[in-house]
Amino acid sequence: MRVRAYGRDATIVDGLVEGSAGLLRTRVHEACIAAGVRCDDVVPAATSLVVMHGARDAQSVRRLLADFSVATSPADNNIAAPIEIPVRYDGGDLADVAAACSLSVDEVIALHVTADYRVSFCGFAPGFAYLIGLPPALHLARRASPRTKVPAGSVAIAAEYSSVYPRESPGGWHLLGTTTATLWDVSQDPPALLQPGQRVRFVRVT
Amino acid sequence: MIRIDRVGVTTVQDAGRPGFAHLGVPRSGATDRASFALANRLAGNSASAAVLETSGGLAITALRDITVVLTGADAESLVGDRPLARCKTTPLVNGEVIRINRLRSGNWAYLAISGGISGIDRDDTNQANSTALLGSLSHDMLSGFIPVPLQSGSLLQIAEPISVPSSLDVVVDPVLARRLHLSEGPHRELFPTESLQHFVRANWIVSPMSNRVGIRLTHSPQSASHDPPPASSLTGVSLGELASIPLVRGAVQVTPSGEIVVMLADHPTTGGYPVIGVIGADDVDALAQQQPDTAVAFAWAT
Repeated sequence: MRVRAYGRDATIVDGLVEGSAGLLRTRVHEACIAAGVRCDDVVPAATSLVVMHGARDAQSVRRLLADFSVATSPADNNIAAPIEIPVRYDGGDLADVAAACSLSVDEVIALHVTADYRVSFCGFAPGFAYLIGLPPALHLARRASPRTKVPAGSVAIAAEYSSVYPRESPGGWHLLGTTTATLWDVSQDPPALLQPGQRVRFVRVT
Repeated sequence: MIRIDRVGVTTVQDAGRPGFAHLGVPRSGATDRASFALANRLAGNSASAAVLETSGGLAITALRDITVVLTGADAESLVGDRPLARCKTTPLVNGEVIRINRLRSGNWAYLAISGGISGIDRDDTNQANSTALLGSLSHDMLSGFIPVPLQSGSLLQIAEPISVPSSLDVVVDPVLARRLHLSEGPHRELFPTESLQHFVRANWIVSPMSNRVGIRLTHSPQSASHDPPPASSLTGVSLGELASIPLVRGAVQVTPSGEIVVMLADHPTTGGYPVIGVIGADDVDALAQQQPDTAVAFAWAT
């Protein structure tokens, strides 16, 4: 774990274990508020975390981050109950994924639905969460040609991640199913159903 | 209230939506923050009040007596048939028209209305269908917030002024610095020395593909004849193995083709291309105002 300047107005912590940045985010955010230092945004990615603090508070934030010398382990937050997302496994790529992974469609579904997931970080679109915990047997590169339109609620996988498309958008992930869950709603606080660090389980519905 | 008669290339912008980047929401907000801040200061508004950001082609009608201030890019601008001076408070009476036509230099002009824009109505139904979304009226082209773009006939609600507007004796032009100072980015150490040298020696050309998401810079044909050709200029980084990192305004990304994208207001919250450096906030304002085909260069901040 390394703390470095990311321009004058931000600081990056990198070298984190994937899945820990979301949990570290909560602690850093709380620590900044407790210390009265500015943090406009605290943003996790796969193995890094960025604090946007403005030039004036750079030294204070960097000193504060140096105290987080022991990186948070993903196991620290296993107490909270997982968010359950109902999935109808009717995705257009089920057969292709099964073939590419040398599995049956039922085996693909069983592997996907029994795994424990955690939100590593959000990106790509508001409310789009990169979930880690996908069984390695289902790790696949993205589709060779992305779809121009992936429907909202599509449950998908790519590389070591699973996700749910919060709204219709272009996308290159493999579609396994659909959910009726609302992933993004600006009338809610927070507007995203899935936030960095949260545990997630898929529940099969028919 | 004011009415948009002709929208041109115009959006409503304020200080954006900080606090939601961890959920994948770009910060958005005004592109040239200095010109935006000046417009609000002179209009007597709060620092984060919503204004019109335009690249020209804009015409509005005041539907009550208002006071406006224009800053940023030098534009052919008129109030009625008289020139509209920049950095001066200009009172308009109900029914008067402002036109901001072609820009003479720069990309972004800012029209602040004393009191600030507080809502956007699509037509004359008087039904605000775009109030602030996550605390901001900014139109974010990446995520599609605010979902209702301005169009001719849109009505903008104006809040009551909170303090007295003021004028400047001189016009403040946007800084059009062509030497951009940057500090080390998270991936700088991954670039070989020759790449880093080329990066600061080369002239980079502002591409017409630039927008509010990012400024795209391509190799100057002139510099390419003296320096290593583009294909080998900034390579040496193993692109497939980089984990996505959070992006900040001013982050300088190197794409697989050796081009550069500098993150602007509507930049994505995370990205997987290597970030060689970060341009300081003032120089990001300057770069945002550089018109396409302008040559710029980088210098490491000391």
